[in-house]
Amino acid sequence: MITMTNVTKTYEGQEGAFNAVDDVSLEIGENEIFGLIGESGAGKSTILRFINALETPTEGTVEVDGTDVFSLPKKRLRQHQKSIGMIFQQFNLLNNKTVRENVRLPLELHKYNDPLSVGEVLDFVGLGGKSDRYPGQLSGGEKQRVGIARALITRPKILLCDEPTSALDESTTEEIVGVLKRAHETFGMTVLVVTHELDVVKSMCERCAVLENGHLVDIIDIARGEERRSYDSYHQRVLEVLKDA
Amino acid sequence: MPDTFQEYITRVIEYWPALFESLWETGIMMGFAMVAAIALGLPLGTLLFLTARGQPMQNVFIYQLSNAFVNIVRSFPFLLLVVAMQPFIRAVYGRATGDPVAASFPMMLIAIALYARFVQQSLLDVPKGVTETAQSMGASIPQLVWKFLFVESRSSLIIGFTTAFVSFISYSTIMGVVGGGGIGDFAIRYGYQRYETDIMYTAIIVIIIIVQLIQWWGLRLAKKLDKR
Repeated sequence: MITMTNVTKTYEGQEGAFNAVDDVSLEIGENEIFGLIGESGAGKSTILRFINALETPTEGTVEVDGTDVFSLPKKRLRQHQKSIGMIFQQFNLLNNKTVRENVRLPLELHKYNDPLSVGEVLDFVGLGGKSDRYPGQLSGGEKQRVGIARALITRPKILLCDEPTSALDESTTEEIVGVLKRAHETFGMTVLVVTHELDVVKSMCERCAVLENGHLVDIIDIARGEERRSYDSYHQRVLEVLKDA
Repeated sequence: MPDTFQEYITRVIEYWPALFESLWETGIMMGFAMVAAIALGLPLGTLLFLTARGQPMQNVFIYQLSNAFVNIVRSFPFLLLVVAMQPFIRAVYGRATGDPVAASFPMMLIAIALYARFVQQSLLDVPKGVTETAQSMGASIPQLVWKFLFVESRSSLIIGFTTAFVSFISYSTIMGVVGGGGIGDFAIRYGYQRYETDIMYTAIIVIIIIVQLIQWWGLRLAKKLDKR
């Protein structure tokens, strides 16, 4: 369980201080898929980064499973970070390493008790045949699959997704959302998704927080409507969206 | 023409041992400079990168100190650096003139400063997301450097090293002033002081060929390692 209490992040800008995150309190349950939505600059990515200490709040506390993240000494903090997987908008793969080497990377940094194998995790994301390619030879969607595989190989208890589909086109977005949902079902971790794409939140999340200018405006229980129709081709989707609107 | 050409060849053969010895002296200086660049310049450049504002080891004092060192060494006119270091070299090595090892001290200093700057620039070219990814995985600083930063910047590090190497050759030609010898000294002694222009040009052409070979080989290696 993740608990944030009155977290604030203040930056010293040229026109004085401003709060990128302003007095936000949140609770995210075990095994939940939770969305953080808002326009750019709303503070959602900063909040996500509090959880694995890539950002440090100016005020307030962040607790994960009862431990205060920012009271941890360096070594313990790295242990905390190793149990959290993260995927990024720009994928952040090492371009000089093959797919296999990229996916294995977390295992080279720490010992894990029960990691998945590279083969298993690549099969899971549907990249079984491409383990010896370099990221430069992959499409955007494939790169994000590698990013997901790299995050999953350690069996993280929390998966942080920072705009996981924002660099991808629509049909690839659906594929990636599908992979993430499947990962949640199969491995059962807490998932946080930061995005500005409402479709993504709608099809993935159970609850989501709405942020505006650093403030938490609302927390919404997402209605599980009937699944959106999936289209066979880009052409069909264009017709659907542009002609029926 | 055949006569003069034959004459030229005879002269080159005559001077060959001296030319070869000069190349050997240059080689000694270059060797020391390269080892210093890798053993100390690479860590110093990495330190400059890591301790800068907003980086994982942010430390104003260490950054300013190493930055000042690099700037001072690099802004020193090299000839004056050579002269200014004489007392130091004498204290450490016993003699300051007349051999290529003594002449290697200023070469090593400039090599460290020059390559440190190249390394810093190479690391700044690595996308910021790489550092963030390493941190998100709980990587330690040595892991960040070896498993992430050097991997992504390796071809740029090699190109920087090649460029630095070519500059070292140029710096080494000054060492004749303190009796350090080398190919530059050879060219001055025969070409400038004895008006043996043909021998001087031969030495210069040898230098140019070495530079071309190194440059070509460095770029080829960098290209081969670059999968981006």
